[in-house]
Formats: sequence, C-alpha cells, structure tokens
Amino acid sequence: MTTVRTPDPPVAPEATARVRRRDRPPGRRRKSQPEAFAFLTPWLLGAVALTVGPMVVSLYLSFTDYDLFTSPKWVGFGNFAHMFTDDDRYLQSVKVTLIYVLVSVPLKLAVSLMVAMLLNTRRGANGFYRAAFYAPSLLGASVAAALVWRALFMGGGPVNEVLAFFGWHTPSWVDDPQFSLASIVLLGVWQFGAPMVIFLAGLKQIPAELHEAAAIDGAGAFRRFRHITLPMLSPVIFFNLVMEAIHAFQAFTPAFVIGGGRGGPADADLFYTLYLFEVGFQDFRMGYASAMAWVLLAVIAIVTAIVFRTAKLWVFYDDAEERT
Amino acid sequence: MRRTRERRTLVALAAVVPLLLTGVAACGSDPGGEGGEVTITFVWWGSDGRANLTKKAVELFQQKNPKIKVQTSFSAYAAYWEKLATQTAGGKPPDVLNVDTRYLAEYGGRGVLADLNQSTGKAISLTDINPELAATGVYQGKRYAVPWAQNTPAMLYDPAAFTAAGADPAKGLTWDQYADATRKVSAASGFAARGATDFGILDTTLEIWLRQQDKQFYTPEGKLGFTADDLRRYWQLAGRFRDAKGASPADVTASYNTSPEQSPLGKKLTSSEFAYDNLLPAYQKANGKPLNVAPYPTDGGGNTGQYRRPSMFLSVSARSQQQEAAAKLVDFLVNDPEVGKIVGTDRGLAPNLKVRAQLAGSAKGADKTLYDYEAALEPKLGAAPPVPPKGAGAIQKLLQRTYEEVAFGRMSIDDAVSRFMSEAEKGLK
Repeated sequence: MTTVRTPDPPVAPEATARVRRRDRPPGRRRKSQPEAFAFLTPWLLGAVALTVGPMVVSLYLSFTDYDLFTSPKWVGFGNFAHMFTDDDRYLQSVKVTLIYVLVSVPLKLAVSLMVAMLLNTRRGANGFYRAAFYAPSLLGASVAAALVWRALFMGGGPVNEVLAFFGWHTPSWVDDPQFSLASIVLLGVWQFGAPMVIFLAGLKQIPAELHEAAAIDGAGAFRRFRHITLPMLSPVIFFNLVMEAIHAFQAFTPAFVIGGGRGGPADADLFYTLYLFEVGFQDFRMGYASAMAWVLLAVIAIVTAIVFRTAKLWVFYDDAEERT
Repeated sequence: MRRTRERRTLVALAAVVPLLLTGVAACGSDPGGEGGEVTITFVWWGSDGRANLTKKAVELFQQKNPKIKVQTSFSAYAAYWEKLATQTAGGKPPDVLNVDTRYLAEYGGRGVLADLNQSTGKAISLTDINPELAATGVYQGKRYAVPWAQNTPAMLYDPAAFTAAGADPAKGLTWDQYADATRKVSAASGFAARGATDFGILDTTLEIWLRQQDKQFYTPEGKLGFTADDLRRYWQLAGRFRDAKGASPADVTASYNTSPEQSPLGKKLTSSEFAYDNLLPAYQKANGKPLNVAPYPTDGGGNTGQYRRPSMFLSVSARSQQQEAAAKLVDFLVNDPEVGKIVGTDRGLAPNLKVRAQLAGSAKGADKTLYDYEAALEPKLGAAPPVPPKGAGAIQKLLQRTYEEVAFGRMSIDDAVSRFMSEAEKGLK
C-alpha cells in the first residue's frame, strides 16, 4: 500500500481576507467613494450609450409598428398579441428553440463533465488534451466553424460517406428537416470547452480524502461519482447549467450559417433569434422584432429564476458548518 | 452563511451579465468634402469578380470627374439588404445604391429613394433605353430607379446531357417534352444526378408559367394575381417532375440558393435549372461543362412568358446631400460606352441600346451566346410586369418554404397552398 500524502494547501490571501472580513462586526460597510465612480465612468458611459440606451429604445419600439424608414406608430400590446395568436412561424421558432435548449444543454453538460473527468488525472499529456478539447469553444459563435460543419454534414459530405459505409444511407443532414436541427445540436455539443474547463477546476477542488475514505469503505467508482463527485460539484454544475441555458436560448450563428440564412429546410432550423433577425432586418418589422426580443429576455429571466429557485433542492455548498 | 451568499451572488452576477450584453450598436462614418470636392458613397451586391469590374468603371468616372470622389462597398445579395436596411434606419443611406425590383416598392414607397422625374434626374439620360425597360423603374408615378442592365428569365442546361436524351431545349420544348427529357437525363446517370432542379420553389418560374397563361404574379394594385387553384396546378406540375425523378430530390432542392456556385446545377447535381440568361458564364464556371441558355418550355405555342427584365436598378438616395454628383454617376454607369466594355454582360445586357449594339458586334464566347439568345428572343419578349408590392422579398421565401413542406412529404399540396395563400395575404397587407 502506498500512502497518499496530501500537501497542506497553501493559504490563499483571499481566504485570509475573507476571514478578516468575517471578523468585522456585521452591518459596517465601507462608504461608497467618489473615486471609484470616477474610475467606473468609461464603463458606465459605454454601458449607457451602447446597452441601456438601445434597450430603452427597443422597449419603446416593442409597443409600436416601426418599418425602419418612417416614424414608429404606437400599437400598444398589438405586437405581443400577434405573436401568440396569429403567427405560426413565431410558434415554430419557439418550438425549435425549446427543443434545442432541452436537448443540447444537458447533452453538452454531460459530455463536458465526462471529458473533464477523463482529463482530471495526472498523466503527462493532459495539458495537450485539455488545450485540444478546449479549442473548439474558442471558435464559439464563429462563422468558420459553422461553415465547416455545413460542409461536413451536407449531401455527399464526409458524414454521409462514413454512414453510407456502415450501411446507413442518409440525405444531406443540413438540408433535410428531419436531420438539420440534430446537426446544429451536435455543433453546440462539440463546443463543450468552456463548461469542461470549469468542471475541471471544480473536480480539482474536491478533496482527495473523500474519495480515499469512500474507496476504503468499499465504494465503487460509480457510487463515488454519484455520492461524492456529483454533490461536491453541484455548485459548478449549477453555474454551467445557467450559463449554457442562456447561451442556448440566444444561439444564432450556427443556425444562420447551417440553415442557409433562412431558417433551414421547411423552417426546421428557425431559431428564435433567427426569426427575430429576419422579421427586423429583412421584413422591415422592427417593432415586432423588438417585442420578440423582450419576450425572449423575459423568458430567459424566468427560466434562470426557476433554476435558481430549484437550486436549494440540489445544489450543495461545502460550508455546512456555516449554515444555521 | 455570508460566504454562501457571496458565492451565490457571484454565480448570479456571472449569469446575469451576459444577459445584459444583448444590446445592439450601430455606427457610421461621415465622409466630408473639401475645396469644391464632393464625396459620394456607392453600394451594390454581387461577387468579388463583379466588384472588380464595377470598381474599374468607378475609377474611370473619377478620372473624368476629378471633383467627385466615390467610396464604394459591396456585399452578397442577402447581406446587402440587411446592411442597407440598417444604414437607412440609421439615417445614413448611401448616395447611389443598387436596388432590386423585389425591393423597389419597399424603399421607393417609403420615401428612401429620390424621385428622378424631379430635378435630380435631369442629369440622367433615358433616351437610348428601351421605353418598356425604362418604365420598370417607375412606381406609383414616380421614377425611383433606372435600369442598370437587362436580362431575361431563362433555362440554363447542359446541352450534351439533353442531346443524349434526344431533346433540344434551345428549339423550345413543351412542359411534357421537358418532363420526359429530364427523366431520361436522370436515368442516364442511374438517378444519381437529375435532369432538372425542382422549380416548385422558384418565384420567377411560377411567374413565367402564369404569364404563359396570361395571368400575373402581382396585380398592379399589389395583390396576388393568381388563385389557390393556379398554385395547386403549378405545384402539381413540379410534382410530376419530382415523382418521376426527373427533378432534384427534396434535400438537394432545399440546398438551393441564388448563387450559381451553390445551386444544384452549379454543383453538377442537376443538368438544367431556371435562372437568368446573364448568369450563364457564372453557372458554366461553377459546373465546369459548357452550358447553354434556352427559352422556357411552354404549352402556349410561341408564348414563353419571358420578358425584358431589369436585372438591377440604380437609385439615388432621397436624403443624399450630393444628389447632383450622385445622378452624374448613375448616368455614367448606365450610358457610357466604355463602362459597357468594362463590365460586359456580368449584370446582363447594357441598358443603353446604342452601347448594346456596339458590344454585340464584338462579343465572344459566353457573351456572344447571350447576345444571340436575346437577339433571337427579342421580338417575343413581353413588357415587364408591374413593380412588385412591398413584401415581395418575403413572398419569395414563403414560396420556397411552403413548397419544401410538400417536397419532403410533410404536407399535402392542398395544405401547403392554403398556408401560402393565407400567409401571403397577411404579408401583402
């Protein structure tokens, strides 16, 4: 038997700071300082001019009929009513987006966690593999990656050829309504680098003693995963879940490129953002597009809030001693 | 407890910040003139090759008008309209712009384009342009645009494949003969490649087919000029080609996009496709084999339904500060004989008939095919249909999408027709 020696973790300065802060009597806060705001000014200006301003304008536009060229006409809640009562394509875009979110997010989290666990060992070449697995997500929303994807999955492309070799003859994935969305989901899952890196960091935080103790008690790999890794990792899973869900709701580039800029074959890839873009910039209905954007924002906020609410039930913070 | 809350706040912050970053930003540049010199902006759509030709023409204009500086930019067709819409909404439309007949009403009717019947247009001569072609730039009595070139909807095909199938599209086929020929062409390749690109998705082909029966796509009032029954019969015709495997399978049809390099004929997946005659060189380059142009198949005797089409327009922005210089550039691009020589038939035939006659005499290769084709067709060509209404750009996509539902077998023709009609009515309000 070899004994595993765990080195004493170095005390991070941040930790001591935290302790010191905790020692401060509660209720005493540092006064806000004008200097801080002076330094923040450039950021504030940017945020107001580039984010808050356009958001306020778009909120106004969402209650109007605005064709980009003539002045907006007030229509009250007309745009919102139209969305849910008189627009089949809108409902199609909601359906496509929900399927994408519900399928791609769990799949991406599972794959990234799996890869992170594979890479969480002390083998020599791991640095290389970590970089290699992370690389695709650097291409994130890139048009180039989506173009390559389109080339891979189109009629007569490599995917067709390989599947045909195994006797499964498929049509052009990107041009067939049955397969098209699946190819976009796969692209999303392939870009698992960001959550993987975060999982990897989370895995490294799990004290080795826990696993050792469980192993000595006879727990197998699966039980250790189920009862140690998952609970210890739950805050990180929570974080990744929220981030990836928000990203998935806002997915645009892959659908735009793979769907040929028009929602794919028979609207099979009509993502919410894609339809929004089409309505605003191709059909000149910017008022309606703004209303759609606000509905999306509201939905993302609600979904995020729900995830936060349920977090109490399943997210385990490793500071039980502080709970009272 | 507090530490927990801090961590939660961090997570919350990290999650919410990207949410807030979903903003839109627009920016524009403002070229100013100095010392009697004026700067105008000029935009068009098309490929790099076209851009090189156009830039040469603009270069020549600047040499002849040293006081006018022209800033150019170009994009692909779809991106062009998105960019133009944004620029226009931002209050900075380009001075001279390329406009398509599908968008003429959209931009003209909303006051974005200058009325060239007024003083601005005086610098632009229309005397040598076919009056029927020139009239296509007029919408509701106002001249919003001048035709930049003329083309004609046509069939592009691989003559070798069709000769082997015993058909000669150049002499004119009936729809039955065309259906028969495409099936034979498909059979010759064991149905791996097909005789025709499925035309059920193409608005121009529907328009020509309607014209062959003396109907129209849009009425002058801007409503649909055909009934649900017409569309049903058109899709049944397309269905005959598809069922017999003469036309492309659904996934190939769905990959169609207006650029010749990415269309089924350009990718050698089919042997004929309905497009425009001026695209012959581009298709030929993409396909690699010598191609030819033919008139549309027709059951109406000599009536092929084809017409003199303004392949593109030039317009001047109503908000341009330099309308005079802008009009000068438009006149130069439309009427100058040297420009005709530089740009060739890339956009179609020169709109100025005198220039066109000069060029026709010295044309070679694909250019010559084009001149001969249009010369032979000229007496049969009808006048162009009325300017399509606002929303016509969206109707094109609607036709494509609803037909795809049929081609993939996800919807019956009847259901797809009624969806098309109801959405089209909403879109053309």
